[in-house]
Amino acid sequence: MSSGLIAFLSRLDRFGRLLENVALVAMLGGMIALAVGQIVLREVFDTGIIWVDELLKLMVLWLAMVGSIAACRDDRHIRIDVLSHLLPDWLVDITRIVVDIFAAVVCAVIAVQAWRYLQIEIEFEDTVLVDTPAWIAHVILPVAFALISYRFVILAIKKIASLFTGVGKVATP
Amino acid sequence: MILVSIILLLLAILGAPLFAVIATSAMFGFHRDDTDLMNMALEIQSIADLPFLAAIPLFTFAGYVLSESDAPKRLVRLTGAMLGWLPGGLALVALAACAFFTAFTGASGVTIIALGAILYPALKHDGYPDKFNLGLVTSSGSLGLLFAPSLPLILYGVIAEVSIDSLFLAGILPGMVMLAMLSVWSLWVNRDNRKPLSSFSWRATAAVLRESIWEIPLPFVVLGGIYSGFLAVSEAAAVTALYVLIVEVVIHREIRLSELPQIMRASMLLVGGILIILGVSLASTNYMISAGIPQMLLEYVASLVSSPVSFLILLLVFLLVLGAILDIFSAIVLVVPLILPIAAEYGVHEVHLGIVFLAAMQLGYMTPPVGLNLFIASYRFEKPIMHVYSATFPFLIILMLSVILITFWPALSLWLVASP
Repeated sequence: MSSGLIAFLSRLDRFGRLLENVALVAMLGGMIALAVGQIVLREVFDTGIIWVDELLKLMVLWLAMVGSIAACRDDRHIRIDVLSHLLPDWLVDITRIVVDIFAAVVCAVIAVQAWRYLQIEIEFEDTVLVDTPAWIAHVILPVAFALISYRFVILAIKKIASLFTGVGKVATP
Repeated sequence: MILVSIILLLLAILGAPLFAVIATSAMFGFHRDDTDLMNMALEIQSIADLPFLAAIPLFTFAGYVLSESDAPKRLVRLTGAMLGWLPGGLALVALAACAFFTAFTGASGVTIIALGAILYPALKHDGYPDKFNLGLVTSSGSLGLLFAPSLPLILYGVIAEVSIDSLFLAGILPGMVMLAMLSVWSLWVNRDNRKPLSSFSWRATAAVLRESIWEIPLPFVVLGGIYSGFLAVSEAAAVTALYVLIVEVVIHREIRLSELPQIMRASMLLVGGILIILGVSLASTNYMISAGIPQMLLEYVASLVSSPVSFLILLLVFLLVLGAILDIFSAIVLVVPLILPIAAEYGVHEVHLGIVFLAAMQLGYMTPPVGLNLFIASYRFEKPIMHVYSATFPFLIILMLSVILITFWPALSLWLVASP
C-alpha cells in the first residue's frame, strides 16, 4: 500500500473513532438527563413528557448499534475464544480471516434487508414519538450493519497484511 | 439444515462473532419458512420495545466510572475496617469487597483488574500463600453476580419477563450462601495464619467511613429507590449513573472530564457487544418458537426425566457445560427462552430458574477452556494459564457445591420474594 493511502486510512480511522465517541457521549449523557428529568417532573411537578419513555428506548437501540460499530473497530465483539489459546498464532490468524469475512457477509446481508425494510416504513409513513417518521429512528440499522460489515473487512485485510509482512499487528487497546 | 447447523457450530468454535452466527441461523430459519428476510430488521429494532433495557448501559457506565476512580481502594479500606479484626480477616475482606464491586460493575471482568490489583499484593504481604491468593482473586471476579444490580440479573428479567425487583430480592440469600461457603473455606485453609489484619478501632473506622461517605449511600439509592416504588429499575440506573458522575468527577475529582469519553466508549463496547447479540437472538428465538422447537425440546426432556428433581439435575449438568462454552450474556438471551417453558412444565419457579441459571453460569467464568476470569487473571498477574487453573480449582469445587445447594433448595431463592 502506498504511504499516502495509509495516511488517508489512519486519518479516516481517527475521524471515525471521534465520531463514535461523540455519538456515544451525546446519547449516554442524553439518556441520563432525560431519565432523571422525567423523574423530577413526575415527583416534583406531578407531570411528565409523554414521548420521553419511547425516546429512551430508541436511544438504547442507537447505543446498541453505535456501541457495536465501536466494538468492531476495537475487535471486541463477543466470540467463543477457545482456539486462540490452543493453536499457533499463524493458524489463529488464518481462522480469524475466514470468520471475519463470514461476519462481513452476514452484516452486509442484514444491512440490505434493513434498507429494504426502511423503504417500506417510508412508503407506509410509519411514525414513532407521536409524529416523527419512523425511518429516522430506524435508519441506524442499515447504516450500522453496513459499517460493521466494512469494519470486519478491514479487520480481515489487516490480518492478511500482517500474515504476509509480519508487521502491522492490530493493536487492541 | 443439519449441514448448516454443523457449519455454523464450526464457525462459532473457530471464533466467528457470536452475533453473526446467531443472525445466520435466524436468517436460514426465515428462508426455510418463506419469511421475508426483511423481518430480521424488524426483530433487531424490537430491542427498542423491551422494557427496562436502558438499565443495562446506564449501570454498566456507572460501574466503569467507579472502577476508574479510587472507589475500589476506598471499598477495600472500608471492608478492612469492618471485617479486618476477624482472624483471617483479609481473605474475608477480599471476598466481601469483590462481591459488592462485581454487583455494581456487572461481572465483566473489571473486578479482577480494579480490585485484584489491590488485593493480590496485600494478601501476599500478609503472608497468605500465593496459590491461594491467585485462586481467591480469580474466583472473586464474578462473585457478586447474584446481587443487585448486576447486569445478568437485569438481562434475565428482561428476557424471561420476570419482575427484576423479585430477582434482586431472590439473589440475596443464594449470593450470601456462596460468600459464606467461600469464607469458611478460606478461614480453614489459612488456619495456621490466623493473624487479624488489624485490631478494631473506632477511630480508624470513623476515618474510612468519612472517606467513603459519598459512596456508602449508593446501594440505598439503588435498592431503596426500587423497593420504595419510587423508581423503576431503568430510572434507578439513571440516578446511579448521575450520582456516580457527580461523586467521582465533581466531588472527589478523581476522573477528569476529558477522560469521560474514553470511559463511556469502553463501557459501551461491552454494551454494544451484548445488545447486538440480544437483537439477533430475538429473531432466532422467534423463529425457533414458530418452528415448535421448545415443544420438541420438552418432549425430548420428558423422555429423559420425569420428576422435577431429575429435571433439575439434567438442567444443572446442561448449564455447567453451557457455561464452559458460552459467556453468560449470550447464554441468557439464547437459552432462557427455550428452557423457560420446560422448567414451568416441571414446576420450577421462573425466579428460582433465573438464580440457578446465573449461579451455574457464574462457574463458567472459571472453567476451562473459555473462562474469562482465568484469562484476565493470567494476563493481569502474569501467571501461566495452567497455574491459574490449578489455583482456582478448589474455589471452583466450593462454588459448585454452593450451586448444587442453591439448585435443590428453591426456598433459598424464593424466601424473600413475596409470592404473588
